[in-house]
Amino acid sequence: MRITVACYRTLGRRVCGVLIDAIVAYFFLTDSAGRRASIRYLRRVHATRAGRRALGRSAGTWASFLRYRAFGRAMLDRLAIWAGKAQDFEYRVQGNEYCDRLAEAGRGGIVVGAHLGNFDALRLLAERQQRIVHALMFTAHAERINRILDELSPDVELRMIESDPNSLKAVFEIRERVQRGELVSILADRAQPGEVGRTTETVFLGTPVEIPQSPFLLAGLLGCPVLLMLAFQTGPGRYDVFTEQLTEGVQFPREEREKGVSELSTAFAARLEHYCERYPYQWFNFYDYWGDDKSS
Amino acid sequence: MPSTDEIYKWVAEVLKQQFHFRDADLRPQASLIDDLDLDSIDAIDLTVRLEEKTGLAFKEEDLKAIHTIQDVVDFLHARL
Repeated sequence: MRITVACYRTLGRRVCGVLIDAIVAYFFLTDSAGRRASIRYLRRVHATRAGRRALGRSAGTWASFLRYRAFGRAMLDRLAIWAGKAQDFEYRVQGNEYCDRLAEAGRGGIVVGAHLGNFDALRLLAERQQRIVHALMFTAHAERINRILDELSPDVELRMIESDPNSLKAVFEIRERVQRGELVSILADRAQPGEVGRTTETVFLGTPVEIPQSPFLLAGLLGCPVLLMLAFQTGPGRYDVFTEQLTEGVQFPREEREKGVSELSTAFAARLEHYCERYPYQWFNFYDYWGDDKSS
Repeated sequence: MPSTDEIYKWVAEVLKQQFHFRDADLRPQASLIDDLDLDSIDAIDLTVRLEEKTGLAFKEEDLKAIHTIQDVVDFLHARL
């Protein structure tokens, strides 16, 4: 991370862009499993009318390459953000009123995101809007990443919370921060290995997937709102940001919890589907997300 | 101040109501993780219920010393 940021600072955006394009092309050419998974994803999107329109071409090798390239473009912007060179980034924001309302009421909440679009762009927006957002990471390296982020941008309020699904520390930290009126963001499109039994099976782009329940269960227990936030690149350093409220914050009675949480996970998957159909190239899960290889 | 027996009854009641345990599952020395199979989400759940019941606020550090039902009871007894 330090090295790539140093490269960006020294070589500039244009040279880094060429390097990233080369790296992405290399991965595209050598990662046959990724290419296969990519085409299967694109076919799913292509099967929908909105998806077909947004793709603008058949779900073939070229469309698959464009997805890899979109990832490279997002990566370039992420480098700019980490290097503190993103002052000229422009945002078109929809749904900001949900964040404003929470801030006015001093309420915290859980923000669910996905490997869809660029979540570092959301971090920059939060910084500009002076909102405190903590990101939950499924990694043992949270402390190290925090140290590097501190070096790179000491003023940024976003911090990583280390999360081991079995760790009490993470859930208590989330609770503490939400109670303090802050936002905690969780990427909720991938179930972690420790979440067995804590997932909802829901149909996503025509095929069942397991969506993690923990963000929604936690919100239910804390009685806090759940927002969905996604940022899509529309050009270099230009983003469309969408914020939606999945729930205002209800504490489910125990007997209705399973149902309430399932409904939220399903609603989340439905919104992901909506955005995949509009920004199909920015779905950045490059592995066999639907488990097609296992089932075939 | 409630007695440890009373507190044990509260805790057992919460575990039965919220987690559908039966009396046979519950004994003072039962480990919350190993015997009752509670995970971190359940721990928050249990914490929220006990806080509502007692008016106390639990921190993560407080939970480090808690392994069994008896530990929960002792913890509450020391603070109520």
